[in-house]
Amino acid sequence: MEFTREIYWNVGHGWTTLAPMYGLLLVALAVFDLGMYKRLKVYRLGHPLDRTDQRGERFRFLVDNVLLQAKVLRVPGAGSAHALFFWSFFVLVIGTSLIVIQADFTDLFFGIKFLKGTFYKLFSLTLDLAGLVAILMLGGLMVRRYLIRPEGLVTKGDDALMHGLLLAILITGFLIEGARMAVTEMGTPLAPWSPVGWGIAALLTAMDEASLRTLHAGLWWVHLLLALGFIAVIPFSKFRHIVTTSANYFFADRGPTGKLTTVNLEDENTEKFGANQVTDLSWKDIFDADACTLCKRCQDRCPASLTGKPLSPMQVVNQIGEVAFADPATNLIDTVGREAIWACTTCRACQDICPASIEHVGKIVEMRRNLVLMEGEFPGEEVMTAMEQTEVNGNPLGMGYASRGDWAEPLGVKPLADDPEVDVLYFVGCYASFDKRNIAVATSFIKLCQAAGIKVGILGKEEKCCGEPMRKMGNEYLYQTLAMEMVEVIKGYGVKQIVTTCPHCFNTLAKDYRDFDFDVEVVPHAVFLDRLTAAGKLPIKAEPFTCTYHDSCYLGRHNDIYDVPRKLVRAAGGHITEMAKNRDQAFCCSAGGGRIMAEEKLGERINIKRVQMAVATGTGQLLANCPFCLTMFEDGVKGADVEEQLRPRDIAEVLAERLASTNA
Amino acid sequence: MKTILVAEFREGKLRAEYSQLIAFAQQQQAEAVMFLVGNPSELPKFNGPLYLADAGRFGEYNPAVHKQLLLDVIAKEQPAQIVFLHSSYGWDLAPRIAVALKAAQVSEVVAVDNGLPVVPACNAKLRRIIKPTTPQSVLTIQAGAFGLDDEPSGTPNVIAVETETVGTVQCTGYEAAKIEGVDLTKAEVIVSAGRGVGKPENVAMVQALAKALGGEYGASRPVVDAGWVDHNRQVGTTGSTVTPKLYVACGISGAIQHLAGMKKSDFIVAINTDKDAPIGEVANVLVVADLKQFLPVLTEKLNAR
Amino acid sequence: MNILICIKQVPDMESKFKINGEGTWYDRADLAWRMNEYDEYAVEQAVRLKEQVKDADLTVLCIGPDQVTETMKKALAMGCDRGVHIADADSAKREPVEIAAMIAGFAKEKNFDMIFTGMQSQDRGSAQVGVMVAELLGIPAVTTIVDFVYDNGAIQVKRELEGGSKAVVTATTPVLLTCQLGLNTPRYPTLPNIMKAKKKELLTMAPDTGGTGSRQEIASCSFPEKKGGGLVLEGDVAELADKLIQLLKEKTTVLA
Repeated sequence: MEFTREIYWNVGHGWTTLAPMYGLLLVALAVFDLGMYKRLKVYRLGHPLDRTDQRGERFRFLVDNVLLQAKVLRVPGAGSAHALFFWSFFVLVIGTSLIVIQADFTDLFFGIKFLKGTFYKLFSLTLDLAGLVAILMLGGLMVRRYLIRPEGLVTKGDDALMHGLLLAILITGFLIEGARMAVTEMGTPLAPWSPVGWGIAALLTAMDEASLRTLHAGLWWVHLLLALGFIAVIPFSKFRHIVTTSANYFFADRGPTGKLTTVNLEDENTEKFGANQVTDLSWKDIFDADACTLCKRCQDRCPASLTGKPLSPMQVVNQIGEVAFADPATNLIDTVGREAIWACTTCRACQDICPASIEHVGKIVEMRRNLVLMEGEFPGEEVMTAMEQTEVNGNPLGMGYASRGDWAEPLGVKPLADDPEVDVLYFVGCYASFDKRNIAVATSFIKLCQAAGIKVGILGKEEKCCGEPMRKMGNEYLYQTLAMEMVEVIKGYGVKQIVTTCPHCFNTLAKDYRDFDFDVEVVPHAVFLDRLTAAGKLPIKAEPFTCTYHDSCYLGRHNDIYDVPRKLVRAAGGHITEMAKNRDQAFCCSAGGGRIMAEEKLGERINIKRVQMAVATGTGQLLANCPFCLTMFEDGVKGADVEEQLRPRDIAEVLAERLASTNA
Repeated sequence: MKTILVAEFREGKLRAEYSQLIAFAQQQQAEAVMFLVGNPSELPKFNGPLYLADAGRFGEYNPAVHKQLLLDVIAKEQPAQIVFLHSSYGWDLAPRIAVALKAAQVSEVVAVDNGLPVVPACNAKLRRIIKPTTPQSVLTIQAGAFGLDDEPSGTPNVIAVETETVGTVQCTGYEAAKIEGVDLTKAEVIVSAGRGVGKPENVAMVQALAKALGGEYGASRPVVDAGWVDHNRQVGTTGSTVTPKLYVACGISGAIQHLAGMKKSDFIVAINTDKDAPIGEVANVLVVADLKQFLPVLTEKLNAR
Repeated sequence: MNILICIKQVPDMESKFKINGEGTWYDRADLAWRMNEYDEYAVEQAVRLKEQVKDADLTVLCIGPDQVTETMKKALAMGCDRGVHIADADSAKREPVEIAAMIAGFAKEKNFDMIFTGMQSQDRGSAQVGVMVAELLGIPAVTTIVDFVYDNGAIQVKRELEGGSKAVVTATTPVLLTCQLGLNTPRYPTLPNIMKAKKKELLTMAPDTGGTGSRQEIASCSFPEKKGGGLVLEGDVAELADKLIQLLKEKTTVLA
């Protein structure tokens, strides 16, 4: 016998079925369109932003993340359940579509039937199992949401609608199948190819055929209405994310990672800087709110959120959406709250993990820009002082600018003004120039370079802060002033390569300065030292030691440099025991986002929390690659009272200690 | 050299700092005459003429009137120097006299070098020796720069003075220093606790020393982070940036953020077991000692003075 | 209301100071420059007064070489309406009364209702100029104010006194006020105001002391001997305590 089934069995294939069915489909699609159009109008409140370049890349990213669920799968558990549900439901949608295509198109017009034979058996089995997986995953997710409910999981009526509707669609689907099979397939070799349907059919055999047919026809229409209802309700419910999150992969920021948009300060017609209303943001910022599924992954990783500060990246994104759809004139800064806006360390943990490619940091910086540039407001007077110090002396610490290069004198390292013939320019940064603890790191780095025969020059008193902390704090004007000056000074020397020991300097020079026509190669010291080691130029004598390693946000998440520093540590003889949060999940030290200039007034101290994670490794040594991190950890070990148990150091210090010549 | 010393009276009391004026005059071996708008029942201990105007009638702060009273005395005495304290009263009145006399004014004199006044500049990073070229000169002397070895003594020869001048500026009252809350930026002496104090109980030793020195206590960030001391007492770029006359850092190694917040202090004492700690670079005096032993002894000796 | 604010550009006190060739003052090389901190409070108070009374015109005046216009721009960005630059490359050599005479010469016929100055400059710290301007103009002056209230022509200020207490003082216009730190919180200029400041009127004038001559000479300028000279004390705690108390008596005024 031919393995197939009669499509539209029992409900009929006449106009009495097709007309209402397609009529309702048109209604559903119309409602869907209207709903999306209304939302589109709101997205358009934001100013223009081109996110349609690099289409090939964008499309590939979309496929990766929609079909393969790449980002969703980064968090096992709920992420895996979502992916499995998505795949099974997707299969059901495809399967249903194939049925419609055959019945109402290929068969109707050309007499072609492809749902038959072995293909039909496999088709049946696949769909049947997909339905089962979908129900199981949905059940699991419902247990998580309604019974276990992880802390911070926002659950609204929207969720109940979504779960209820999906569950109803799946269950009615199986009941229709069961009723149909009870009448037509019981005892046929086809039945086992729909195991779930078969089981349900077995339960229904007690009913007589007439009742089964009535049940089937009724449920068929219910199922249809549910499915069309699902389509219609997409724009008005959390189902929206099927469209918006998918689209957001296409519209995702294509980098460079962590580079902020440069404000045009030359335009004299601009009267407003930064954002205190949704209309000051881009359409993508409003769209992001619609792409958010409240999965709270960002909130779970936000160092501010985890230490009791009033910031939830998820909430910020959604507040923007709420304001945009309710009353776009609302003051966004008042809605989000100043304390939340200032609490961000721009560590990028939120943005990195977000399965919807939402850009949290840029929004916060835009609000900061408004506070700083339009209101002259800062998180505290200490930050304003640091800004003023930077204006006067080129560093937030307020140290006299003329002594910036003093640390290097005993090492024989000269400013380019005195000797421009160098292999590399070392962009020292403020902390390594003035802070004794970080001068030790700079000194180690110089010793390593000297041992490798690299001639290093510095800018000395011509160097100023790269502007990163000011920029992240919202002071775009001061940042641009500093950036333009640094670009001019560095370009004036015709430098070919720049090395940094500060990842904040690195990220800024390598990415943000590109907007000022600056294209000199910039290399973080870990990478530079690794290259020297690989080239056999660094005479390091490995000596075994144990340690843990902290991925700074600006080397790690901002630049994906995770392995190189670890390789260097191993080259020095180090055995790394990883902390609970490492690599792309690393926990910030608290000093990013310009917070290095600010007092941490709310909640627990982030640096102490991180130091405690390092202590838990029992290795006694915390290796870092960033002067801000090092400063925070030096304070942190004291604050946590673990000075005896943990020694924070920079990788360069450990390496310099193992220079063969100094050991000999 | 005839010198008029301008003593001060405020909130119904003679200000004891007049002894510093006497000390200055003694050091110059000057012939001193004193001027005071004060209370006839509370006279400075001073052997010499005292031109006294009644503050009850001429006010404690009434620049135009006090200027006229003093100018009348100057006209009579023809002094070579008119000496004020470099105080809210002195720096307010002195320039008025200097302008009226077309005399050179030298502010905040900290010493006299070969008969010439020495003044600080740029946060005491520089010192200048000034040579007045006018027959008369007006000086204000830095509080505490000149001191008597003994308590002042003597009885002045009171000469009452008065004027008909009226001023447009009126002092209507005083407002006492606020005690609630703490503002380290205003403190003249700050004793700060660092992690070197060891445990929270030891913060009390730092508080005791601060009290003995008549100042406030503060702390470095780690101590505040650890919750041993309140937020508003944190010294450093992420707390208060302070400029007291004396800063005593107890067990503070000197992270850059801390140093940047206190290095402008006039005089810095660091007490630390580690001789090489960065705090040593900004300290005027580094006491190498264990805080737990040293602080109680120092506090006791200060209290016993 | 017509208001004058006098500001000065000073080196940042963190700068590495060197003595100039004549041995009279600091050398100007390698210094970072900024608005005298006290003057920032003066500017802020004037701007706040304008915000209060609406109808006010703020003139900011600064004496010095051309580079002081950079500092004037900050005052304009904070909210002053116009700038007057008395271009005087030798301003550092002028004594306080000469500076005061230049200001008074400018202000004489302008009928300023109020003049705000800093209580002193951070570099010279004489605390003379403000009061002298008032004396030369024949208007009252109140110094060291830490609180300012203006109400329909009546002015009430608080003067900071030693030991933290304050004197409440009333005055009427015209008046000159010298501002102490803490009077207010000087604002951080907003970007639109920084842009606007670039277009504000900035008048340059030649220095004129109106015949006020020199009344003093600088005999010398030097670095003071280091107070403790980075002294390291070690030994028995009781002896250490005595030594430290002795040092505090000699080098500071806190035990006086």
